[in-house]
Amino acid sequence: MQTSNTENTTMALSAGPPDDGQEPLYFIRLNRSEKIQHLLLMISFVVLVITGFMLKLPETIVQKIGPVGETLFFYRSLLHRIAGTVMIAVSAYHLFYLALYEAGRRWLVDMLPQFKDLKDLIQNLMYYVKLRDRHPEFDRFSYMHKMEYWALVAGTTLMSLSGLLLWTEWRWSKFVLDVAAVVHGMEAVLACLAIMVWHMYEIHLKPHKSPMDKVWLTGCIDEAEMKEEHPLHYQKIMADSALQHIYIVRPPR
Amino acid sequence: MRMRDTRRSGSYAAFKIMLALLAAALAFPLTAFSAGGEIRTDTENCLICHRYPGMGRFDEAGVKRIYYINEMKFANSVHGKLKCTNCHVGLDKIPHTDIRKVDCTTQCHLKEPSTEREFSHTNMVEKYNHSVHGNSDPNNPKPFPEDLPTCTYCHDNSIRSPLEGVWGTSQALANETLSRCVGCHTKDHWAQNYYLHVTHRMRHLRSQAEIIKLCTSCHEDSEKMSRHGLDSIATFKDTFHWNLVKFKVKDAPDCISCHVPIGFTTHDIRPKYDQASSVNKRNRVNTCSNQGGIQSCHPGATDDFAGGRVHAYGTKAQLVVDGAQSIAVEADESLLSERARRDMSEREIMNFKILSYIRLFYKILIPMVIGFMVCHQTLDLLATLRKNRHNSH
Repeated sequence: MQTSNTENTTMALSAGPPDDGQEPLYFIRLNRSEKIQHLLLMISFVVLVITGFMLKLPETIVQKIGPVGETLFFYRSLLHRIAGTVMIAVSAYHLFYLALYEAGRRWLVDMLPQFKDLKDLIQNLMYYVKLRDRHPEFDRFSYMHKMEYWALVAGTTLMSLSGLLLWTEWRWSKFVLDVAAVVHGMEAVLACLAIMVWHMYEIHLKPHKSPMDKVWLTGCIDEAEMKEEHPLHYQKIMADSALQHIYIVRPPR
Repeated sequence: MRMRDTRRSGSYAAFKIMLALLAAALAFPLTAFSAGGEIRTDTENCLICHRYPGMGRFDEAGVKRIYYINEMKFANSVHGKLKCTNCHVGLDKIPHTDIRKVDCTTQCHLKEPSTEREFSHTNMVEKYNHSVHGNSDPNNPKPFPEDLPTCTYCHDNSIRSPLEGVWGTSQALANETLSRCVGCHTKDHWAQNYYLHVTHRMRHLRSQAEIIKLCTSCHEDSEKMSRHGLDSIATFKDTFHWNLVKFKVKDAPDCISCHVPIGFTTHDIRPKYDQASSVNKRNRVNTCSNQGGIQSCHPGATDDFAGGRVHAYGTKAQLVVDGAQSIAVEADESLLSERARRDMSEREIMNFKILSYIRLFYKILIPMVIGFMVCHQTLDLLATLRKNRHNSH
């Protein structure tokens, strides 16, 4: 079983606490397993969105596709099921990861909602409208991360369940299938819009991240960004050598 | 080619046209015409006039009527072996002022081989009259009988086209098969005709989209449907079945697939509360599974699965749930309302309510969540830009 994040990182970085403070430090945000989970989830999500919303194409557009429509529909259906299976498998693995790996358990504990998150939300909104001078200080995961993560958990659960019901349609009553179809469609709209508005902004549009936050590829952020965006977590790490072993990486000499 | 185009009686203007055409025709004596390589005699000489593409007139209502007959197309149509007067009776005068409307129950002097009797469509028409589209019950006449489809509403005199099989092109398949027939059946044309008669029925003549277009030409008309106490079936397009049709998937389920599955006939579609209907609850499992058909759609269908509603809920459900007061019920809709109360079970109403609440929940949730997200991220963007400006100073 994995004992630290650094064992899993793909970067050619050496792990450990800062020695003399001269070298730039990097902090792990996503370990290798988490990066692969994110990658698979991202690919399956995009495939599911494209192949799912193809069903909503208006008749006039589908008519222009012509006789290729049948082949297109066949691969659409196949890819939707494959991507759905991948997403369910990644989600199942994620549960396994949360329960059995130390890094997973740390993730779960750090991701649990706390009263501070509600306070942070209010204070942050006050900062946005200039009622406060500074934004609140965030820990490893801010309320924004937590909201998105738990929405993802709820959404994936509903989509997986309703999708599996629709996939095995002959076993269920038509009413159950009607409910599943409504939930699957509405939840898809919600998930899509949420990703487009919430996640795309964070990754692509936010001024200092644009054109793309590379953390999903590198898994790391530098010390300045860590101090700015996760100051509480930074302080915890710097005060605890065990955490330093887990979260800090240095570039090779 | 539509036979009904030729059925209207002529006027004096038509008479003048016909005389002119007759004169032209005399210059080109027609005794025979060719169809599919076979010389066939137009024994009634109708084509002396009707072979000219310009033949037609505008009737009293201003509708263009075309009386031109394309001999090649007609000879290759399902009625190609018949004489004109087999169907168009009462053509004794020229111009045809005594023509009667074509009656599909007319005996057409062909021998029906299984009974050796003269053939007619009486059998089909009788079935049809007892079907949901017919009006045969004198004790319970249907309102607005003019809305009911006649034979020619659905049928035209379709061109016979050979089967397209997995064994090759249609012509290759016809050649291979016919070469085994003509040894005994020495008349090539007879063998070819027989072959086409059979293969014409071995495929769907209309695509799924065409079937849906035909049925919805009436059934999507909510005004027409409500005066018969029926829901518009526009809600079919909310189903997954429609998606398959939309993408032109082979064997996609159209109206016929469920309302006329294996063992049923198009001319005998019954209302769903009739036990002889394919969509009656007792026949639903067979209909959904379509065992014995080319396409076994839901082979494992259970009572629970097949017992549910296939078309999405429409006006009827809305009428029952909201009550007649909240929806402006016109005179025609009172029948719809009455039928809705009779047809919708309590369970269906409950199901409809639950589905409506789920939809409503999402219709509130989605704008709230996404609205919050848009506001939050816009404020974040403004705050970040503000901070960046402050830092750069």
